[in-house]
Amino acid sequence: MIDNNFDRRDFLKVLGWGGAAVALSGCGNTSIEDGKETVVSYVHAADYVIPGISVYFNSTCAQCEAGCSISGRVREGRVLKLEGNPDSVINHGKMCGLGQAGVQHHYNPDRVREPLLRSGDKGEVITWEKAYALIAEKLNGVSGDQIDFLTGTVSGHLKVLLGNYLDSLSSKNHFVYEAVSPAVQRAANLKSYGMEMPRFNINKAKVVVSFGADFLGAWVSPVHFSQQYAEFRKGVDGQRGVLVQVESKMTLTGANADRWLVVRPGTEGILALGVVNALGAAGLQLPADVAAAVKDYDKERVSKDTGVSTEHLTKLAALLKERTPSLVLLGSAAEGYAHGSENAAAINLLNHVLGNVGKTVEASAAVPYPQIAPATGNSAGLRMVNNRLADGQSKVLFTYGTNPVFTAPAELKFKENMAKAGFKVAFAHYLDETALQADLVLPLNSALEDWGTIVAEYQPDGVQIGVQQPLMEKLHPNTLGMGDILLALIKQRRAEEYKSFDDFYSYLRTALLKNKSEFAAAGTDDDVYWNDLLSGGIINVGGASNKLAGKYSANIQLPAPAERDQNYPLTLIPSVTASLRDGRNANQPWLQESPDPLTTIVWDSWVEIHPKKAAELGIVEGDIVEVSSKNGSIKAQAYLFPGIHPDAVSIPLGNGHDAMGRYAKGFGVNAFQILSRVFDNETGELAMHETQVKLSKTGKRIIVVKEEGPVGGSQQGRKIAVTVSSDQVDLSEEV
Amino acid sequence: MSVSNLLENWSDFRHKHPVEDVPHDPYKWAMSIDLDACTGCNACSVACYAENNLPVVGKERYAHGQAMHWMRIERYWPEDDREFPDQGAQFLPMMCQQCEAAPCETVCPVGATNHTPDGLNSQIYNRCIGSRYCSANCPFKVRYFNWYDYPTTENVWPAEMTQQLNPDITVRGKGVMEKCTFCIQRIRVGQRNVKNEGRVLRDGEVQTACQQVCPTNAITFGNLIDTESKVHQQWKAQRVELAVDEQTKDTEEGGSDLRGYRILEELRPYPSVMYMERVRESAI
Repeated sequence: MIDNNFDRRDFLKVLGWGGAAVALSGCGNTSIEDGKETVVSYVHAADYVIPGISVYFNSTCAQCEAGCSISGRVREGRVLKLEGNPDSVINHGKMCGLGQAGVQHHYNPDRVREPLLRSGDKGEVITWEKAYALIAEKLNGVSGDQIDFLTGTVSGHLKVLLGNYLDSLSSKNHFVYEAVSPAVQRAANLKSYGMEMPRFNINKAKVVVSFGADFLGAWVSPVHFSQQYAEFRKGVDGQRGVLVQVESKMTLTGANADRWLVVRPGTEGILALGVVNALGAAGLQLPADVAAAVKDYDKERVSKDTGVSTEHLTKLAALLKERTPSLVLLGSAAEGYAHGSENAAAINLLNHVLGNVGKTVEASAAVPYPQIAPATGNSAGLRMVNNRLADGQSKVLFTYGTNPVFTAPAELKFKENMAKAGFKVAFAHYLDETALQADLVLPLNSALEDWGTIVAEYQPDGVQIGVQQPLMEKLHPNTLGMGDILLALIKQRRAEEYKSFDDFYSYLRTALLKNKSEFAAAGTDDDVYWNDLLSGGIINVGGASNKLAGKYSANIQLPAPAERDQNYPLTLIPSVTASLRDGRNANQPWLQESPDPLTTIVWDSWVEIHPKKAAELGIVEGDIVEVSSKNGSIKAQAYLFPGIHPDAVSIPLGNGHDAMGRYAKGFGVNAFQILSRVFDNETGELAMHETQVKLSKTGKRIIVVKEEGPVGGSQQGRKIAVTVSSDQVDLSEEV
Repeated sequence: MSVSNLLENWSDFRHKHPVEDVPHDPYKWAMSIDLDACTGCNACSVACYAENNLPVVGKERYAHGQAMHWMRIERYWPEDDREFPDQGAQFLPMMCQQCEAAPCETVCPVGATNHTPDGLNSQIYNRCIGSRYCSANCPFKVRYFNWYDYPTTENVWPAEMTQQLNPDITVRGKGVMEKCTFCIQRIRVGQRNVKNEGRVLRDGEVQTACQQVCPTNAITFGNLIDTESKVHQQWKAQRVELAVDEQTKDTEEGGSDLRGYRILEELRPYPSVMYMERVRESAI
């Protein structure tokens, strides 16, 4: 906005010539006194610096795995604000709150700034040389099989380098762990569609039925889906899209549904088969095996099992039959059970029956270079590492981009098992719970100081490789990029092979230029190509063409709805919020002060209880209640929430840190801790919704800190936020 | 302008708002917000924090009602005693409505808040004495008071966090009222840039931070006078007029099947923000 008169592209083109020193000189970050930096008056500014005028650098957001392209507003060498890059096929210039808070990750006062070596209970500052020497020493005499890498999702050239390092150690033990991931769904999709993550075209559907997929909040690629949702509401052929959400606890997406159907926890699959049955009854031609499989799922039985009325079932089937194409989505709420895979298969079957496969469910392009395709995470990765640690198989453990001590259920005893490894190295931004258990903590550059490439799992159009480049000079002189550290480590093993790369930047540049001919017109000059690449921030490759394969299975064995445990009568739903997710970004104050959209609570955790159940238990808002599972208990404030099944309670994930930093530590409780050790029968994924709990009052009561006023969500009869029924409004002439 | 001159010729100086005698020209900034597109995701609110140097006040201050969110998302539930809110929640982005006859302006004892020629309700920080009359008089409760010195004694931006602050606008000190400005710093730069070219701003050349970030394009901002602007066309299509306290379409027999409305219009503040009703499907 600031520079309407200036051609952004011209500015950006200039940048990049300087190579690693591309970021503008920052003010006051490195010492002037010791001669590392000289003061140069802005009278002699570099030709792309005009004081008071912002420059935009394109890069890629690293706050979650969606891989949105960002454009950082930089002025006088400081990054001020992150905006969306309009050229991205993922986010088209838009952002979410989480992404924008990336600057608070970068400028965070609690970042680790020096390599730290454990010395008793304290961390002693050491040099990088000493840190590297220590790693070499500890790896000496340890066989490759005893070295484990536990990371979050990694992709791009960092993944390649990590793979090469592991190879140089003769280790095959790279485990990718994401505490909150669509892992069951990937397995189900592979069977139903022949690929783990096909494209979901919400914008082409007239009806979307989502079984707990919070695609507007925290599911897969929310900024992308939000844009599709906006198109969907405007409508295909002018007919406004209809959203039906099926879940036990209202998510942000559920809050935007035309009809929110509350189901008894775990019966999502039964409802899906009930809809198939109702579609058959409404005259839709079903394949014989499907018809046979769903014949017992008549409306009365399904209504009794799920709690959804027969009237809504009939209406839903009629709507789906009448308005095509539709789209059925499957999310964490449906897959978080021991029978999660069966639920998923039943829900995916609906897409087949409705003929959506190939229309609203389409093949996504395959990443043409499998070595840079993302290594996606699941909870199985954690389980394997945990078992290896418990059995003493793992002697040296490296952790990167994951915080298992915080996110592993206490019953897994990860913290205790981690102590059994002889040497633990954490690559960390903060001293989080896992870093505190490590022997060596290596400080990382922020995502806004680092080089890299990011390939997102969900690819909406071709394959987009996001280029990550520094938006400014490093804030702290002794942090390093993950790529730089890996390169230094790999040189300990294969010095000859990697000697031509001074740093990760030169590795990345060489690697990308090597493939130049595939991305750009042949004969383009290297420097010109490189500058274009950096100014664009995106490499679009068509991607290998891909076809949906897979087939539905009518052989779905769904268990009857579980009987309630007398001692633990409630199902715990650990909810994933758009801001805090698995808690890795909890130390960013904008996110803590951004109210949860549904409860409007800030800076804390809470227990959502249906008002009816609360009345039964004598609980009012603000009561501190103890939520106990078989595996422990936590205490948090009660919040009376109408959007939840009376047999369930919900606690959001992400808060409850006892380390990490001033904006995270001590706020709320950690619901991961009390999760039960129940796994999906087929994939072995942790079944997040299988924890049964009981509530008890502690006798304490506090005032809930929240945005909504004393009258809660009431408009007091005034015309403030108005809803109109679709048959009473004319949308045809709208602009 | 001496005070005696002002008092003697009061009728010449006094404007009735909305200004019929001196219409806004060439700019009248306005907004429209589509509640059927808004998902309540809060991206706009965070964008506002980033753009406008809003302090994060912390849990205790938040509990006291001292949050500084110029753009906030209100959440309402249906009030019909159903067991479950089975048509979801209702979200409403709420910020300063930039009223044409702003109730806050007339009560300011020092003229710190007043109307700009392009139709903004402006706040002059260094004139504000912190009487807080304006906030008391605002029907939308969108004015935020600096009860503390957030940058210094409260240390809201510790260490490197100060480097994120937007240099185009100030960081406000204790005792000053503040509120949404429609990103006036962006508007002014845009206006100056095109002034040199001898033209007026075209639609889309200036975006507010909340509009720019909104993943569903629920927020439209622009010049209501410019007939080419989307905001003008939306207001026109919805038959919402700026200078009335009751829309003609609502008085017609049978009511209106258009979605546009303004909040608390009947109080006659003449808000510059039009909302479009949320729609819910009748077939399900």
